Amino acid sequence: MSQVPSVRERRTVGLLKRLRLSRAVVNVILGLVAVFWLVPTISLLVISLRPESLFGESGWWTVFTAPSQLTWGNYTTIFSQGFAAGGVLDSLTTSLEITIPVTILVALISSLAAYSLVFGSWRGRDWIFLVIVGLMVVPLQVALIPVVQLYREMGNLFGLNPYGTIPGVIIFHVAFGLPFGIFLMRNFLTGIPKDLLEAGRIEGAGEWKIFYSIVLPLALPAIASLAIFQFIWVWNDLLVALVFLGGNVHTPLTIFLYDQTRSLAANYWIVSTGAVVSIFVPLIVFFSFQRYFVRGVLAGAVK
Amino acid sequence: MSSVTLRELTKQYAGNAGLSLDSVSLDVAHGEFICLVGPSGCGKTTALRMIAGLESVTSGEIEIGDRVVNDLAPRDRDIALVFQSYALYPHMTVFGNMSFGLKIRKVPKDEIKAAVTDAARILDLEQYLDRKPAQLSGGQRQRVALGRAIVRNPAAFLMDEPLSNLDAKLRVQTRAEIARLHHRLGATMIYVTHDQVEAMTMADRIAVINLGKLEQVGSPRELYLRPANQFVAGFIGSPSMNFVPMHVESIDGGIRVVSAGGDMDVNLDDVESAMIHRAGVSDVVLGVRPEHLDHRPRSGRGLQLSASVDVIEFLGNDEHVHLSSGSHELVAIVDARTPLTIGDTLTLSASSEAIHLFHPETGVALK
Amino acid sequence: MLVFPFFVTFIGLMVAVLTERIRWATAFKAIIVMPIVFSTTASALVWRTIFDLDPHIGVVNAIEQTVSDWFSTPGAYPLNSSTGETVASLATFNAKGGPGGTLVSSSAVQPGGTVMMGLTRISSVTLQTLGAKTPVAPHEMAAGIAGLVWNDFSTSQPSNTTSIVSDEHGLPNLRLSLVSSKGSSVASTVTDASGDFSFSHVAPGSYHVQILASNFQIAFVGTFWLGSPSLTPVSSLNQTAQSLLSVPLIDLAMIISYIWIWAGFAMVLIGAGLAALNREVLEAAEIDGANEWQTLRRVTIPMLAPVLTVVFVTMVINVLKVFDIILNMAPGSSQGPATTLALTIYNDGFTGGIHSGLASAVAVILFLLVVPAMLWNLKKIKG
Repeated sequence: MSQVPSVRERRTVGLLKRLRLSRAVVNVILGLVAVFWLVPTISLLVISLRPESLFGESGWWTVFTAPSQLTWGNYTTIFSQGFAAGGVLDSLTTSLEITIPVTILVALISSLAAYSLVFGSWRGRDWIFLVIVGLMVVPLQVALIPVVQLYREMGNLFGLNPYGTIPGVIIFHVAFGLPFGIFLMRNFLTGIPKDLLEAGRIEGAGEWKIFYSIVLPLALPAIASLAIFQFIWVWNDLLVALVFLGGNVHTPLTIFLYDQTRSLAANYWIVSTGAVVSIFVPLIVFFSFQRYFVRGVLAGAVK
Repeated sequence: MSSVTLRELTKQYAGNAGLSLDSVSLDVAHGEFICLVGPSGCGKTTALRMIAGLESVTSGEIEIGDRVVNDLAPRDRDIALVFQSYALYPHMTVFGNMSFGLKIRKVPKDEIKAAVTDAARILDLEQYLDRKPAQLSGGQRQRVALGRAIVRNPAAFLMDEPLSNLDAKLRVQTRAEIARLHHRLGATMIYVTHDQVEAMTMADRIAVINLGKLEQVGSPRELYLRPANQFVAGFIGSPSMNFVPMHVESIDGGIRVVSAGGDMDVNLDDVESAMIHRAGVSDVVLGVRPEHLDHRPRSGRGLQLSASVDVIEFLGNDEHVHLSSGSHELVAIVDARTPLTIGDTLTLSASSEAIHLFHPETGVALK
Repeated sequence: MLVFPFFVTFIGLMVAVLTERIRWATAFKAIIVMPIVFSTTASALVWRTIFDLDPHIGVVNAIEQTVSDWFSTPGAYPLNSSTGETVASLATFNAKGGPGGTLVSSSAVQPGGTVMMGLTRISSVTLQTLGAKTPVAPHEMAAGIAGLVWNDFSTSQPSNTTSIVSDEHGLPNLRLSLVSSKGSSVASTVTDASGDFSFSHVAPGSYHVQILASNFQIAFVGTFWLGSPSLTPVSSLNQTAQSLLSVPLIDLAMIISYIWIWAGFAMVLIGAGLAALNREVLEAAEIDGANEWQTLRRVTIPMLAPVLTVVFVTMVINVLKVFDIILNMAPGSSQGPATTLALTIYNDGFTGGIHSGLASAVAVILFLLVVPAMLWNLKKIKG
């Protein structure tokens, strides 16, 4: 075996020989691309770690020759407010208060709906699925005004107006997260052999048992992808929060940043520090679940 | 009593004009091993899934152990099904897979353990109980699927082509294992396959299904020796039976059957003449199995033909010889020691017991 | 804004094809994909900083400055371009405008002689920052040429334009060169704090002293990326064509930042498409004698067409929905040229005087624009 290289091996070797020159070029090109891609992130990080006074004085890149510039000062300043309304920590909490329920609800409802769409036998499920796929591309901006009016009507009729409340934002996000969630879960569940469910049914398992002890464990990777996506979307949303929580005391991080740019237009350092705080959570999520994230990108190509 | 009875079982899928299963009636006795065979798409799997409760019944009745189960959910039918794909739960261990059904039935833990260990011992799976299906070989997975059925100790075992995903060698091995298991458990088994060799080797009785219809039920021997019609005759046995359309001629008060080209003629015995007489046909399809064609001239009753050799397939002990006689093509099995070359003209014969006659239009065997 | 989807798809394809060749592909992919998880608010802020007008803040302008300084070092005495000042207008004593924005001494000088040149209109601020001292008359030196360049303007004797007055200043840091009678530069030097200079070991002959044009070079001022100045491709076109072809810089900046955000998405998708391609088909192309580029263009890309379409359509929909990046990146005044439908809905419907009707109308338009994408999706799933 070892003396005689396989056809494939020989082919690869030949290919490599011809590529050797261009491989160096490729490395350089991609190296430059990588640097270009990293600069913005690094600049943000460095600006947040340099003292306010240095901001307009010299470029952030001077830090590479003078590392002594680095300080936690900006962070101490923005965290010093604690959890008081309008502060970074309050916004962080609000962001979590919105994001976590939305993520859980979307994952749960999507899985159940997809289960029924894939393994159910009721009439019209193909049509419902097509409607859901159609809804996926509808930009949420289209629904802002009708939903605000609907919320107002709810207030008039039941004395319960979700406009301007966190549940109001959650409902909106869940509603707009579901089409993609159901689409992704359905696509994944169709890959589960029907035989498995039938085996379960023959062994005496009811629908719930089949759902949570056979389908759910198998669909875990898809649920993880969906949850990560949903989490990042909602965490990063500015528009919906602005429309529904614009005037609120407690606002998510995106609004905090937006307000900072509006009111203290020149205070890049505080904005940058806030921005680092805001990207910290999604970055952790991204790096810990990169595999699922990529899978989600692939599954959700149409959104 | 765990017999299974089908009464005029019929299945029609929504949006499908034809019937997928057309009024099939079948009695499976307690402890019997019955095979449903037929070409793919013939309805045999549909029948099995209807017995399991995975498909609804369009009309007819299914009885398991004196109980009509038409409207019972699969879990209430007391059956076990071994899937073609095995359908093992990939996220559970072998033990988890085998114990799943018992856990659902809330069987006490120690009983589950005893049942699973017992089944694992029978199937030689003891050292794999902690593994996940992905870590097992094809044959082991197949045994886990069997084990999952065994632990339940059901009224009837249903098997849907359980060997089709195994390689040829393992298939022969597992075939014997299942047969042994049947003897050991004495359970009622309904086994679906498209492979007539599997059916012949394992089954007590075989039910041949074609195009949704039950063609014949009988022991392997019966089906081989006395096929009820041309389809069963062609389906059972390998290589397939040779069929030649013949013309009936009357000579000297008796009758003679000759092929269109005139290279074949059959000297009918009295029984056969009587058959053709009863059927009142002027044409007939003659059937003769390749293994019954003799490479020897014969005098007296029986078939006689001469044909030229087209292809010779050497198989060791014997050879499959493809021949043409006039416009007809035939296969004969001859001793490998016979010196043959392509283009040779052979004279072949068959005794009158080896000759089957079928109605030219209906295909029914003449009696 | 179809430019952006095209670029994203293209860059995604190139990067995806190239990553297959490197060892650090995983790290590279992570770097490219990372921006997707940032909120567009944060991304917009990052890019706003990067494109900042001030070269002390914005990297792009800092690079532009460095590059511009490289090619033309800013001088110590930049002209005031707003008043239309010229180099020649600075000369008062023994100096006249020379070729290419230089100043040349009017009188010729031989080794052993001295030169004095008087300039005017140099701002006191400039003199102060340069630490200019009182001028000292040059001393003759053997086989050398000594001289002085000074700001020939005295507040006490404003009419004296021929000799040094005590409250005048020498002009430091001026780059000079000694030009022979043939017109070639034979030596160069820089004036000291009191405006004095000297050339030693000068061959016999007749010379002029030249004050280089770079001394009056205007310093680089940043490009206002986030504003409305436009990048106009060909200036010889007529006005209509120009206004059609010109791209506001803010749009360009936005496209770049948007590519930064979305290229990772395109790369992942196209990369998966590449991985799913039948390797044997590519090998067949190779056996058939296609080189890499031909294989890419004639085999890989056509086979990837479905994936590329998905990426493209997704990006088109994305552009229609762009909202937060503009809101955060463009200062209020520049949002005009960068507005999208989505932003219009927000601005009309939810800020200031609420015009729900108008915003709803824009929403309907937005919806109609995504209908083709919706139908395309449905077709893909049904087919």
